[in-house]
Amino acid sequence: MITSFLAKALGRNIVIAAAILLALAALVPALNLLTAPDHALHVPTYVVSLFGKYLTYALLALALDLVWGFCGILSLGHAAFFALGGYAMGMYLMRQIGARGSYGNPLLPDFMVFLNWKELPWFWHGFDKFWFAALMAVLVPGLLAFVFGWFAFRSRVNGVYLSIITQAMTFALLLAFFRNDMGFGGNNGLTDFKDILGFNIQSNGTRSALFAASAIALALSLVITSGIVRSKYGKILIGVRDAESRTRFLGYRVEHMKLFAFVVSAMMAGVAGALYVPQVGIINPGEFEPANSIEVVIWTAVGGRGTLIGPIVGAIVVNGGKSIFTAAFPEFWLFALGGLFVLVTLFLPKGIVGTARQFVERRKEYRKAREAEAAAFAAEPQAAE
Amino acid sequence: MHARLIHRFLQCLFATVCLMVTLLATDLRAADDLRVMVDALGGGNFQENQKQVEALARTGDPKVVPALEALAEGDLYQRKIDGIVFIVRPAGSSFKLIDALTGEEAGEEAKAALEKIKVNNGLRRTIRAALGGLTLMSPDVAVRLQAAGTILRTPSADALEGLDAALAAETDNAVKVVLGQARAASILVSDRPADEKRAAVATVVETGGRDSLSLLSAALASADESLRPDIEAGIKKIDDQLAIWAAGQNIWYGLSLGSVLLLAAIGLAITFGVMGIINMAHGEMVMLGAYTTFVVQQVIRTSFPGLFDWSLAIALPLAFLVTGAVGLVMERAIIRFLYGRPLETLLATWGVSLILQQAVRSIFGPTNQEVGNPSWMSGAFELGGMTITWNRLWIIVFALAVFVFLLFLLKKTAMGLQMRAVTQNRRMASSMGIRTPWVDALTFALGSGIAGIAGVALSQIDNVSPNLGQGYIIDSFMVVVFGGVGNLWGTLVGAFTLGILNKFLEPYAGAVLGKILVLVLIILFIQKRPRGLFALKGRAVEA
Amino acid sequence: MSTKARATGALLAAILSTTAFNGAFAADDTIKVGILHSLSGTMAISETTLKDAMLMLIEEQNKKGGLLGKKLEAVVVDPASDWPLFAEKARELISVDQVSAVFGCWTSVSRKSVLPVFEELNSILFYPVQYEGEESQRNVFYTGAAPNQQAIPAVDYLMENEGVERWVLAGTDYVYPRTTNKILEAYLKSKGVKPEDIMINYTPFGHSDWQTIVSDIKKFGSAGKKTAVVSTINGDANVPFYKELGNQGVKAEDIPVVAFSVGEEELAGLDTGPLVGHLAAWNYFESVDNPANAEFIKTWKAFTKNDKRVTNDPMEASYIGFNMWLKAVEKAGTTDTDAVLDAMIGVSVPNLSGGYSTMMPNHHITKPVLIGEIQADGQFETVWQTPGLVVGDEWSDYLPDSKDLIADWRKPLECGNFNVATGKCGGKGS
Repeated sequence: MITSFLAKALGRNIVIAAAILLALAALVPALNLLTAPDHALHVPTYVVSLFGKYLTYALLALALDLVWGFCGILSLGHAAFFALGGYAMGMYLMRQIGARGSYGNPLLPDFMVFLNWKELPWFWHGFDKFWFAALMAVLVPGLLAFVFGWFAFRSRVNGVYLSIITQAMTFALLLAFFRNDMGFGGNNGLTDFKDILGFNIQSNGTRSALFAASAIALALSLVITSGIVRSKYGKILIGVRDAESRTRFLGYRVEHMKLFAFVVSAMMAGVAGALYVPQVGIINPGEFEPANSIEVVIWTAVGGRGTLIGPIVGAIVVNGGKSIFTAAFPEFWLFALGGLFVLVTLFLPKGIVGTARQFVERRKEYRKAREAEAAAFAAEPQAAE
Repeated sequence: MHARLIHRFLQCLFATVCLMVTLLATDLRAADDLRVMVDALGGGNFQENQKQVEALARTGDPKVVPALEALAEGDLYQRKIDGIVFIVRPAGSSFKLIDALTGEEAGEEAKAALEKIKVNNGLRRTIRAALGGLTLMSPDVAVRLQAAGTILRTPSADALEGLDAALAAETDNAVKVVLGQARAASILVSDRPADEKRAAVATVVETGGRDSLSLLSAALASADESLRPDIEAGIKKIDDQLAIWAAGQNIWYGLSLGSVLLLAAIGLAITFGVMGIINMAHGEMVMLGAYTTFVVQQVIRTSFPGLFDWSLAIALPLAFLVTGAVGLVMERAIIRFLYGRPLETLLATWGVSLILQQAVRSIFGPTNQEVGNPSWMSGAFELGGMTITWNRLWIIVFALAVFVFLLFLLKKTAMGLQMRAVTQNRRMASSMGIRTPWVDALTFALGSGIAGIAGVALSQIDNVSPNLGQGYIIDSFMVVVFGGVGNLWGTLVGAFTLGILNKFLEPYAGAVLGKILVLVLIILFIQKRPRGLFALKGRAVEA
Repeated sequence: MSTKARATGALLAAILSTTAFNGAFAADDTIKVGILHSLSGTMAISETTLKDAMLMLIEEQNKKGGLLGKKLEAVVVDPASDWPLFAEKARELISVDQVSAVFGCWTSVSRKSVLPVFEELNSILFYPVQYEGEESQRNVFYTGAAPNQQAIPAVDYLMENEGVERWVLAGTDYVYPRTTNKILEAYLKSKGVKPEDIMINYTPFGHSDWQTIVSDIKKFGSAGKKTAVVSTINGDANVPFYKELGNQGVKAEDIPVVAFSVGEEELAGLDTGPLVGHLAAWNYFESVDNPANAEFIKTWKAFTKNDKRVTNDPMEASYIGFNMWLKAVEKAGTTDTDAVLDAMIGVSVPNLSGGYSTMMPNHHITKPVLIGEIQADGQFETVWQTPGLVVGDEWSDYLPDSKDLIADWRKPLECGNFNVATGKCGGKGS
């Protein structure tokens, strides 16, 4: 009963995908922690943290798909929101080191100590509390997206212009965070984390918990986005994507619609970033690199833009490929990756999931047509009689 | 009478011969002394050699000039076996020896049998000053001018005598002026009386420029009270002059940066601006152009060394053809399937850019390749208080030339007309009988080719490495969008505006913050004018 | 379609875990050595050479019979100049490929990114690049120069031999230049240089338009005092910087530039004619004349099949690190991490500058410091050399917070940041 209700509100596939993610969130940590390392079903910690990382990428791609796939805003700066969320979490983790840093300074992180900083910059206050950092990981990207979107959508900046200024935004942030004077550790970024919420960040248990948290966050976001795009509001969003002027002329406040989607998406990206940092152990301005944002677009496109499962599949396939290729063919993997992008665009224009869906639908239609034909054929002699 | 005449003649002859013999003898002895001094250069440390060079300079004998020049160039070697010092020229795996004083050839020797006489900056500085003094009386005007210039830059009290003599003998006016300036500079650092120095200060102030400022500042520290006001006034005067020139210099830097941006963006203005393809492989086209230049120079270096100054001229059409061909292949193989899906071109061209980068890395290696400046692009000249480097000047000229060429091509030729027709209304153009696929391919090839020749120019100022293109792609998109997509004039104005803006912010905000500010300003500007500086108008825009 | 998605995911997981298990159950007749250098992305330009150098060293060692009777096997991965990927690849090398030691990293951020991994999985990293110091970690051996093995001798040379009184400290805005310049600033002030005679300038990565800064340097240099530039400008930005210097006519005789990140490899991309006389401070130059170096260069050119390939300081640091590791493994008789860590300290191997380098208890090594001037052929000529070897100083004496710290990884201290003032191991104490 509930399932049928959920299936109706969210779509059957979404419910299945979310259920799988939740199952993974329970199963993978269990297999990692409870089985012996030489057990056939044992999942090595290496794989746990690797897939934990992929899941945060998947969440980022899902966030992008909400604005690009359903609202037509091609953001080439989504990695900026991801990185900001990551920095918020990184700052919390930095503060958790406390006096265990190299210099034993209870308040200042190491990089401030050896650059002769005397006191903590104002924006580092509060980050010693997890709830504050968690809030900031969502609020800061959301606020940036709100301010940026408020101006951009009101001025009706769209299409490639919008894409390029989002790129300018992330590039400006990249340069800003590179500056050591900003107080975010410059190029070295934030590293050497010790623990999170009192748990050792390197222990298997914490890694499994982070994996589970990522899977749950992804499942939740999937449900939320699905709820959004299947609601009435979602239909209007798609209207904005397909015919913006027409939607506006129908009386909808297009810029508000876009702004809402953009801010929600940025917040999701921030959550992804916050989950990403403790799993990889470093956050540095390189995350703001415009190329990273373009890669997110590519994951989404490879998986299937405008489908919610697609970005998740795309992020995992592309990054999994990268992980394998960089070890298997370190000299040639860029050919493989580049070739993949070209081939997907040419032969799978709707992405993996989109194409698969098309295939299934065609089969269905074909079958229906065959059935209809058969029915007609069966009916004919009767008619003749 | 006859006998007396013969006698007188013989007397004369004898005297002459005697004189000649003595002269020859002293000359020989002098040459001997010189040889000992030159040979002493081998085996000395830097300080000792510095003294030795000064001693050589004091002989005033122009014969030591080649040896000193060779020493400065690092071509002076000592033969290990007998300690004789030679100038060497490389000849295959061994060295050709040249006598350090007479300039005669003295056989060949294996590299291992010789030891290089090392030079460092201090020694090189001493040599430069010594050479200045020694070549003041050279018959060649250019050499004299250079010598005077050298003393002007490295003034010393020791040089004054030589300068006075040179001034008296000098006939060329230009050299005379520089000699006068050098003399004034040398007086400033000497212990001459105050009134002589006062006159010198006036001359130095008149000369102007950074070097004079440096000289005056140094003099101020040791000057006596009566001179101080003069020097301080002089410093202020030069400072004020320089401040005015500094503004001009800044505009120049801005123009120069703008021209680089223009070159980087102009190919994109066609592929992205006119055709609407989000061409992420644009930077790689620029890179391919730069590598074409490298290959051309490599061939020239090994096979036709005389043509080196022409290397860029040869590389230009080749780069255009190479990148144009790559563009053509790209369009036919990939992009033509993506018309009407502009965002997907981003994906495919990104893939192509990764492949091209890695291909270049596999073929040429990941390290920087050396692309040399031809002689006409090296160095700088002074324009008032501004330093203008030749390569920047030529790049500005070149960027504008490319712009004009492109404008002409698009606006005045049949091909340009077809290109514009196809991009503005494909179906209409098609029904008018234009072969649209053909035009598409050519347009993309043109944009790529232009990016390639930009690469030829950029190879002169930047790294030639597989990462070259990545450095320009974002800036290029900013320029095109800021100027207004689809408008060449917009790209021109956009590039120069951003260049000058950047250079005016840089002194106040620093290079990093300046760049951030420019980006923020672009974002704000786009809010004000959502379609860039020169927006296309009309219904076609919305589609 | 979600079936398809699941299928793909499952497939991928299967592939990944098979590679994982393959590694774990690989035959045990070789000793694996991980090579963690970027082969693509922005750092490929510098790091690829080190990968090649390591492959060459391993090949040469195998010709000599390998190690402990086993062949060495190189495992090469590409972390693609992506810092989190460095951590991922390090984890893969250690836990999947089960390598005995890893040689890798170039930038400080990549090292910082992999540090926790080496600590957690208890493996060994050899880091072959000069860096800012302020670090000493149990699992890492630093075979490149610390600031006192490069920067301070260079400044001493300029002060004594060139009479420099005014200093421009120009660097790329990241941690190495920032720290080095902080140390230099304190050092210069301790030598009586006035604050107005020091100009500090930072530029972004890959900065390519140097017109304004070069003209600022000229301006700063025209105050009547001998001026020098101390450059901590990073890799890629150097070529345009030197081109601009050459074109604007800044001659080494007037304003010498001494660089800590410019080696033979960087100069190979430049016409060095106009740059003759500018300086660099390293612990090795290709031009150093001794039999070991000649042999090394010959092997390198043969290995790369390229007569024009140059050698450089980080290659020498890799060479030293690799030989130290061989010797320590032989001494310990095993590749077991803890045994090798113990055996490493005190190991002494010949370097290529004509002497011996020793691994000190602080995991840094002793090296000679060479000052070289750029020559027209793209090589350096040594104009000055420290009389003896200099011990790498991990915690600088010129920074207020680090001057009391020392590192000593021998028993019983076993501490990377021991505070001599409080008598406590910094991280655990206070």
